[in-house]
Amino acid sequence: MKKLALFAIIVLIFGAVSPSLVNHAYGQNDPSILLRIAVQANNQIVNQLEKKYENKIPTDINILYNKGQVAVESLNQSLINNDIEKAKQDFLLAMNSFMQISRIISQSSENTVVADVEENTNQKLKSKIDRLEKYVKTLESISQKHDKNEQNKDEFTKAHLLIQEIRNQINTNQNPFDKINELNNLMNSIKKEIRNSIAEKQSNSIKNFFEKFLAQIDQKLMEAKDLDRDQIEIDKANELILEIRELLSKNQINDAKKVYSELKIVLKNIGISVKIT
Amino acid sequence: MSLIIEPIQSKKSLGDKGILFVRNDSIFDTMVKLPLLVASMIIVAALMPIQSSFSSPRDLDLVIYPDGSAHISTEINVDPFLTDYEVNLFGSTIDNLVVIGDNGFLLDVDVIDDTALIQTFGSSVISIEYDIHDLVSKQGRLWTFSIDSPSDFTLLLPKNSAIVGMTNLPLNMEIINEQNQLTLSSGLTEIDYLFSINSITNPINETANQEDSSMYVIVGGIIGGIIAVILVSIIIIIRNKQKNVKTINEVIKIQKNNILDLETIFKLKSDLREDDKELVKFLFDNNGEALESELRKNFLQPRTTMWRAVKRLEREGVIEIEKKDLQNLVKLRKNMEEDN
Repeated sequence: MKKLALFAIIVLIFGAVSPSLVNHAYGQNDPSILLRIAVQANNQIVNQLEKKYENKIPTDINILYNKGQVAVESLNQSLINNDIEKAKQDFLLAMNSFMQISRIISQSSENTVVADVEENTNQKLKSKIDRLEKYVKTLESISQKHDKNEQNKDEFTKAHLLIQEIRNQINTNQNPFDKINELNNLMNSIKKEIRNSIAEKQSNSIKNFFEKFLAQIDQKLMEAKDLDRDQIEIDKANELILEIRELLSKNQINDAKKVYSELKIVLKNIGISVKIT
Repeated sequence: MSLIIEPIQSKKSLGDKGILFVRNDSIFDTMVKLPLLVASMIIVAALMPIQSSFSSPRDLDLVIYPDGSAHISTEINVDPFLTDYEVNLFGSTIDNLVVIGDNGFLLDVDVIDDTALIQTFGSSVISIEYDIHDLVSKQGRLWTFSIDSPSDFTLLLPKNSAIVGMTNLPLNMEIINEQNQLTLSSGLTEIDYLFSINSITNPINETANQEDSSMYVIVGGIIGGIIAVILVSIIIIIRNKQKNVKTINEVIKIQKNNILDLETIFKLKSDLREDDKELVKFLFDNNGEALESELRKNFLQPRTTMWRAVKRLEREGVIEIEKKDLQNLVKLRKNMEEDN
């Protein structure tokens, strides 16, 4: 029995310590990635230096570049020697040097490099529509999950059509803002519809939660009364609880949530925690 | 008569030579109740993961868009006995926020600055998705991504972006739809990147290729001795022949005159992969030819990866491969235009 108990202790201790061991090991996955990133950064820096300075690289940048390049070579060697810790240090040193160089270059060229405004705007619009499309798909998946897709099918079809139209407008340099606004409004309305359509389903789980929660609060309010806490606030809380119960019985979940927000403030004033156990 | 008080236990455990023996069993029996210890440790062990899991993101994925905005998806374990849960967002300029609770319910959220108060109502896992504009800044051509993450996370960089600096060690990297995806550890991370046509080769393929290359090493070792003998005799023959051949510079000069310029090559072969274009560029800068081993050395590629790239370019009709000193000499084709 004692041996078994000791064995159990060892297993438990190992179990508690093992997650940290696993994390540590994970950090050492395929260290050759470090070299690939560093080499790519090195190549980019060389390109930038060639474009910016040709053969007249300032001394401070040259020193930084040499430092970075030496670190990349050392990183390569460390990986060959399987010295992972050294490789990590070399990687950080190289990337730090390259980071400093690119920041110096970008600072000095900030005023001279003027971005193509049109291209920049297009890029922003394309990113915006990509993000909106992702948002549409997220809502679509929620709708599907609750079998409400048929109900919202027309709206989602319209949303996808609008996205296509906006993309065409961006590509042909037309102003897409009206369509984007239309899409935003449509998405707000879809979100509202989804919320309403699943409210009934959602209401049962919220009702269950509220039942437990309110019973707990009733108990705590009685305790607060015994402790001579602010009676006005306690009465107010009791009224709000009654109101919530009434709203829940009428299936007015959203209104119940609103009253609950008020109740939370009152409970806080009385000094009652809203966590149920 | 003298009265000496001796503890009973010491009497029992004194050996012949006066050495004090202490029985472990008795310590456990008298001082520690073993079953109690085990039970308490089980409770502690059971509670530890629960405590650490609440409020900590299970997954955190970031996607950076070309305009510097980012999409964040995260899943968080929350205490199911709480009515609401406050989460710190990664900034205050938030768009398209969606919070989903257990069973896929949309949860109500109040966002104040960079915190979101989510009405969880008994959910144990919540997933949060939103777009944010606070994580990336731009100076000149340089973009800087910056985050202080509470957990490990993945970061998908935009297409054609090249990392030129970073302050954190990546845990992993893969290519997804021609985009670099890094896995990074928690804490403060800054990554500088700029947009470029260069891209990194697929590390997954490369890992497989490295395994393949070990086979080459073994085979190479076996036949290495045989080759060495042949190599020496061939070098002697070639050296004798070289006397009658034009100087290398002359050859290069003639070849370069016949090779198309890079722009035309890329125009003719518009389907070339970005990493293959880099190879072509290197060959062009190297007077139109290079040994395959030189390519490997320059691009830090395993033998098989480079061999495949070279074969790909040969199939595309961009290069031709010749044997030189038992090595592959890769040359840009001169009559590429005729094919098209």
